[in-house]
Amino acid sequence: MTASFKNGSLARSDAWFGLKMTTVAAIMMAVLLLVPSALTVIYSLHNVPANGSSFGEFVGFRNYQIIFGSAVFWRSVWVTLWFSLGFVVLSTLIGFAMALLLNQEFFGRGLARALLIVPWATPWLVIGILWKWYADGSVGGLNALLVGLGITSDYQNFLADPNSALMITIIAAAWRQASFAGILLLAGLQTLPSELYEAAELDGANWWQRLQNVTIPWLRPVLVTVTVLNIIYAFLQFDVIFAMTQGGPGDATQVLSILIYRQLFVVTQIGLGSALAVVLGVAALIGGLVTVKLLYRGEAAN
Amino acid sequence: MTALRKFFVRPAGRGSRSPLQTIALYAAVVVFALWVLLPVWYLVVSSLITPQQLGSRSFTYFPTSITFDNYLSILTGSTASAGFGTTDVGARLVPAIAQSFLVSTVLVVLNLIIAGSAAYALSRYPFPGSRQFELAVIATRVVPAIAIVGPFFVAFRVIGVLNSPWALIISYNVFTLPLAVMILKNYFDQLPQEIEEAAKIDGAGRLLTLAIIILPIAKPGLVAAGVLIFLEAWSEFFYSLVLTNQLTVPPLLAGFQSVQQFNWNALAAATVISMIPPVLLVMIFQRNVVGSLTAGVGK
Repeated sequence: MTASFKNGSLARSDAWFGLKMTTVAAIMMAVLLLVPSALTVIYSLHNVPANGSSFGEFVGFRNYQIIFGSAVFWRSVWVTLWFSLGFVVLSTLIGFAMALLLNQEFFGRGLARALLIVPWATPWLVIGILWKWYADGSVGGLNALLVGLGITSDYQNFLADPNSALMITIIAAAWRQASFAGILLLAGLQTLPSELYEAAELDGANWWQRLQNVTIPWLRPVLVTVTVLNIIYAFLQFDVIFAMTQGGPGDATQVLSILIYRQLFVVTQIGLGSALAVVLGVAALIGGLVTVKLLYRGEAAN
Repeated sequence: MTALRKFFVRPAGRGSRSPLQTIALYAAVVVFALWVLLPVWYLVVSSLITPQQLGSRSFTYFPTSITFDNYLSILTGSTASAGFGTTDVGARLVPAIAQSFLVSTVLVVLNLIIAGSAAYALSRYPFPGSRQFELAVIATRVVPAIAIVGPFFVAFRVIGVLNSPWALIISYNVFTLPLAVMILKNYFDQLPQEIEEAAKIDGAGRLLTLAIIILPIAKPGLVAAGVLIFLEAWSEFFYSLVLTNQLTVPPLLAGFQSVQQFNWNALAAATVISMIPPVLLVMIFQRNVVGSLTAGVGK
């Protein structure tokens, strides 16, 4: 396998070896990602027949015009943004709180950390199914709990009400992602040298001041990572919502991924669905990049 | 980064706490435990009671009697007695678990070899364009699965692998391969290069060095990547829904729900069963896995 060049230096043969070792992965990525992505863009410019047997008639940007002129699309954009906002804030904050807690010393901490793993290792779809029934209006455990605690007076069918349906899907998805954020942030906290805390304590800093001036700056890179990941997961979320509401009631939880699924596989408007998919992909990319930029600029300013 | 692996090792408490702080701490621990456990406890209890017990308000968090009938009926496929309506989901659960294991395991092996070679090369033998390739790999994490499923559907129909495990083994690479490359590249970067250089001076070729020097010490990283690939493949729902007819566990569970008149107790049992392999796997290998997670976004 070792490449030998007549006049090649060792460095050159090293590079050649590296290239060869990467070839299979590179070809697979190109075939599995670039080609389908390009095809989706091409689909989005055509009026594709419902069975997808050919590209159909070339229509230029008409699919995009239809999308941007449609109320359904813009409602879906708002639902996606609300879902994402709630999801990112909840999972990041709860995850941060859990990490701070599990970094303390207490009886049963090992077990608590093992518990943290459970929501994260559970498949997204299973989380959707679990929470759908947990929030159910007749057999749901959440209702028993809320009524038992005196928070609500009677069982509520949370997923039938457009306002609470979106909220419950957000909580369900954040239930999983908070654990993921907690695991990463806890790992970050454990690299924090205790001398930093002790010095701050000696200086008379209280808990809140230590959090602001020691913990958060130290965790900044992990917080950036976690937030960016949460945003991407939010934009691309499909499983939880599909299992819980399929986008309903009405279109109250119809995020873009659900709308795309409907266009592609329910009403089989492949051209329109592909154009929507392109819009979502570009939005996820921009969302990720902008967040990285903003958060890192914040870091530089400090 | 290596310190990340000390997840469960280093105690972090300092000094002593006042009684009030202790109470607050344990109150927070209880809230945490309830937040995580209540939904799971509800699921487990639901799988262990009868439809009559489930139907009675209010939900009993501590049922007086339990039954394993839900598990028995779903695992033996005797779905008629358990009120599954018109679905044959009970008969399909065990085969779906087998298919999920097959797809996940094949992907783990395949990706560790392919991504492993690529990651090692990117770490040790950079070539012109290798940095760009790495960035491209990271960028793929934001490509929505749904955005490229159409072409897959058409291509798989043409080559005749629709509805087969191959459809999933091929398409899952879209997200497992980049994940594995990032984790392993990050891991190889952390390994000391001195031993390799010593081996090279001793005349070992690049592949021999990889086989006898790197592979043995890279085991923790390979295990971490393997577990995460398995997790992604086991959990994947969308491609399996669109490209197969309820071949793996997640779309089967989803299909279960959409059947008229089905039994939530039995679905709860099936759901518990589907959670066990990934949760167990991560718990067993948590030390390996946690340190590798941040590599998922690259630096």
